[in-house]
Amino acid sequence: MTDTPVRPDAHAATTDDRSPVRPRRPLSEVAAEIPDSPRKRSWQPRARRLLKHALLIGFGLVMLYPLLWMLSSSFKPNDIIFRDTGLIPTELDLTNYGDGWFALLHPFHHYLLNSAIVVLGSVLGNLISCSMAAYAFARLKFRGRPIWFAIMLMSIMLPIHVVIVPQYILFSELEWINTFLPLVVPKLLATDAFFIFLMVQFFRGLPKDLDEAARLDGCGHGRIFLQIMLPLSLPALATTAIFTFIWTWNDFFSQLIFLTDPEMYTVPIALRTFIDATSASSWGPLFAMSIVSLVPIFFIFLFGQKYLVKGIATTGIK
Amino acid sequence: MSVIQEVAKTRGAARETRKGDGKAAAIFLAPWFLGLGLITAFPLLASLYLSFTDYSLLEAPSWIGVQNYVDMVSDPRWLKSLGVTFRYVFISVPLQLAAALALAMVLDRGLRGLAIYRSAFYLPSLLGSSVAIALLWRQIFGADGLVNQVLAYFGIQGVGWVSHPDYALGTLMILNVWTFGAPMIIFLAGLRQIPTMYYEAASIDGASKFRQFFSITIPLLSPIIFFNLVLQLINAFQTFTQAFVISNGTGGPIDETLFYTLYLYNQGFGSYNMGYASAMAWVLLLIVAGLTAVNFLASKYWVFYDD
Amino acid sequence: MRATTTRRGRRNAAAFIALTAASTLALGACSGDAGGPAAEGDDTGSSEEGGGDGGDGVEIRFSWWGSDDRHQTTQEIIDLFEEKNPDITVVPDFTDWGGYWDKLATTVAGGDTPDVITHEERFIADYANRGVLADLESLDIDTSEVPESIIDSGRVDGTLYGMATGVNAYAITADPTVFEEAGVEMPDDTTWTWDEFVEISAQISEAAGDGVWGTQDIGFNEAGLNILARQKGQSLYNEDGSLGVDAETVAEFFQIGVDLQESGGTPDGSRTIEIQNAGPEGSLLGTNAGAMGVWWTNQLGALSAASGHELELLRMPGESEFERTGMYFKPAMFYSVAEDTEHPEAAAKFVDFLVNDPEVAQLQLTDRGLPSNLSVRESIEGQLEAADARVAEFMADLESDIVDGPPVPPNGAGDVQDVMIRLNTEVLFGSMTPEEAAEQFLTEVAEVTGS
Repeated sequence: MTDTPVRPDAHAATTDDRSPVRPRRPLSEVAAEIPDSPRKRSWQPRARRLLKHALLIGFGLVMLYPLLWMLSSSFKPNDIIFRDTGLIPTELDLTNYGDGWFALLHPFHHYLLNSAIVVLGSVLGNLISCSMAAYAFARLKFRGRPIWFAIMLMSIMLPIHVVIVPQYILFSELEWINTFLPLVVPKLLATDAFFIFLMVQFFRGLPKDLDEAARLDGCGHGRIFLQIMLPLSLPALATTAIFTFIWTWNDFFSQLIFLTDPEMYTVPIALRTFIDATSASSWGPLFAMSIVSLVPIFFIFLFGQKYLVKGIATTGIK
Repeated sequence: MSVIQEVAKTRGAARETRKGDGKAAAIFLAPWFLGLGLITAFPLLASLYLSFTDYSLLEAPSWIGVQNYVDMVSDPRWLKSLGVTFRYVFISVPLQLAAALALAMVLDRGLRGLAIYRSAFYLPSLLGSSVAIALLWRQIFGADGLVNQVLAYFGIQGVGWVSHPDYALGTLMILNVWTFGAPMIIFLAGLRQIPTMYYEAASIDGASKFRQFFSITIPLLSPIIFFNLVLQLINAFQTFTQAFVISNGTGGPIDETLFYTLYLYNQGFGSYNMGYASAMAWVLLLIVAGLTAVNFLASKYWVFYDD
Repeated sequence: MRATTTRRGRRNAAAFIALTAASTLALGACSGDAGGPAAEGDDTGSSEEGGGDGGDGVEIRFSWWGSDDRHQTTQEIIDLFEEKNPDITVVPDFTDWGGYWDKLATTVAGGDTPDVITHEERFIADYANRGVLADLESLDIDTSEVPESIIDSGRVDGTLYGMATGVNAYAITADPTVFEEAGVEMPDDTTWTWDEFVEISAQISEAAGDGVWGTQDIGFNEAGLNILARQKGQSLYNEDGSLGVDAETVAEFFQIGVDLQESGGTPDGSRTIEIQNAGPEGSLLGTNAGAMGVWWTNQLGALSAASGHELELLRMPGESEFERTGMYFKPAMFYSVAEDTEHPEAAAKFVDFLVNDPEVAQLQLTDRGLPSNLSVRESIEGQLEAADARVAEFMADLESDIVDGPPVPPNGAGDVQDVMIRLNTEVLFGSMTPEEAAEQFLTEVAEVTGS
């Protein structure tokens, strides 16, 4: 329906006025000529660094205020959360954590475990299937590529609320309802166009000299993909893994619809069962368990983000 | 200057054309094709079919032709939701991306405790879709929230920002900017792909930070900027959870936060007009696809790939 | 009859699949496979499940909404039922209020309707009129201990689709502590008028000082309008589902909100809406920032817990002001049975157990409203504590003054509250006059309810 959105000939964009004046040399040669950057030892950078830290901390506190409020409220007795809205709790009351953990039909770790299963399946699925599809879209020439690419993007333009019912009927006919299959299998089949597109953009950002050279050495696409593209795209893979983890961990709607037995419930559904618009809600336990469910994703992020650092700059390109 | 030119040259070097890779493509795309055929296509086409029916969810659908599409034009709430969504998208997406890029640059390198900062700035994004967000947002923008406490310090009496018809949408835009974590991370990952030697060489050449930003960072990051722009646009048009949770599902006050998807959801699941909701969804798809196509066309002029 | 209905639900889904899948090349094979078992099911009834009705190993699904407390007691009730009926397994299916309706509609669309469904007044007509729910009178459920008026509250066009779990009333909840602090006397709720209500609210706001108001706005729920209409001899809906209220009455109702605001009895518009969205815990009463509010009686417990004060129930204003009393007993929820259930006997047995077994009431007390079965209600009276006991007492007191119950709201009634909230907001922010809002209300409600 749209005009071909992907241009196989993207390099045409760099027009003549940008073309080099000097004869071209390999980047490595250029780099070799670069001496160590000069280090000025004066008070000025240090003061600037301190100022930067101060600003970041200040800004961070504002950003985190709602979160800190939730953390603080999780230590307040359920009854007074709304009456005593100060940021510092007057006493450290851990009952919300104990109550919350055992308030539902299963102890909370049951839901954590269910979520972990869904999440791990999804992460693996997305990493494998999306990177494969992305390689094809980024580096292979095949007929109808722009059209397939457009179709891929279109598939994420419909709101979930209108596709969920047909999806339910489909999975129901397959007898997949109340299993983790409707949540994991689609990821194995690269239905998350977001990540395909993400990796396409990263792959296209990698110097083409590399796979060109590999091809001259007789490498097939399989080896180029596995031994060149993937190792060089660690940041993109880490991003995919982190995001898949977090979004699946937080995804409420499809898990609500596809899982019917409380035995199979995951963390987001369990969290919803603390509150109900029509009767008393257990806000304290909800906050406590929300904090608990944030812990895994926080640590995944904390450890995962160091892989974002290992880009081309550190793996080194010769 | 030389290194900047070097960058430009690497990007622009002519490539030898390669013959088609049909067979390899079939293998690499096999899972995706399977997913398209088995999982994506049916719900997609089903919703298209349903958009031409009267479908209550509770009974079998019955064909009514283009009636749903016709009804839409004369539905004032549909128009309202379109207006709300457009305003939201075109203000909050650029702001969010700017915030994300700025923070990504700051948190890229050269500072102690980067991991902690990155995690801290990402944390709000984890909460963005939580049920608790309505309550938390009230702590800031409510009648007795943080903002009004600060204003009161200066002797200004604020209103309940989240629930005032004039400001409610604004607070949701801020909420969107607040959850800039995802694009920030993608920017960070993109920045890591830019070899440091470019910057080092440029410094030696005497290029200012400002010039480095526009001559190295922006061009080399452009595929990622483009990606974030396209995806955030698609996502912003489908904004649902925040508006749903904060307005209690009503899109209030007075439909001022009646996002397109929220109205669509209320039609489909609240009023049992799934046929109408499906038609709305396909109109949205056309709008978003159109804008995305424009985006792709425009990208020819500012996005640089190394292929 | 049952066989036909079983076929019906499945057929919807199957026909749906066939229609849409036909256009999907890739899915051709897939839908062919899937069509197999469904078609088989048509011929042999419940072949998929293996067991027949009443045989061993019958499994039924029971769906409800609520929060963690209700989930726990309901699980205990299910355990009790399974103990008494070892041949029936009840699979729980629960979530919060919002998610519940999305999930229910989706499962119905997919032909997987839960066997026993918890329902609500505003949505039951939508499901009943579309053939999703079974006629409860054709099933074996004992209703002898339930008053006729309560049974009737579950009838749509004369057919009984929902068994009321219990009853609530829409009433003023008041905090005597705040009244006392403001030095205002509690009103005599058998005689007070709407004007007095506004006046008292203003007095409290004035006397109690900053950050405390007389009452929370009362205009967001159509139940309040219905009571005013009934006091004037009208009704929000007629028996046939059409509108039974005139523009004058609706305008008068919106005007009360304006009067309250102008006299200072309620907070300003933006704060009012913020509080309205904050549930019982964040309400004026719950945060000790107000003396009154209008709530369903079953919310007294939540409000009391949040406020930490002993709250009291008052009758709505105007009960002796006009032609008649307007308050009524509202069925808190309904138990319904799916029309296409494969185990109607087991489902009926379970509903009968829920309504009539005193042990069930011992467990859930008034969580699903004051029990509709009178002998069951009596059996738990001694055990009710604090808030629950006050509700029971209030309701017993009210019994003799209530004239009748309003008819079941028509199709689309679920949308009416949204209309109400939107228009009341317009009025509170002054962007519409009460009269304009009233006209708009009648037009929009007629539209969404199709009358």
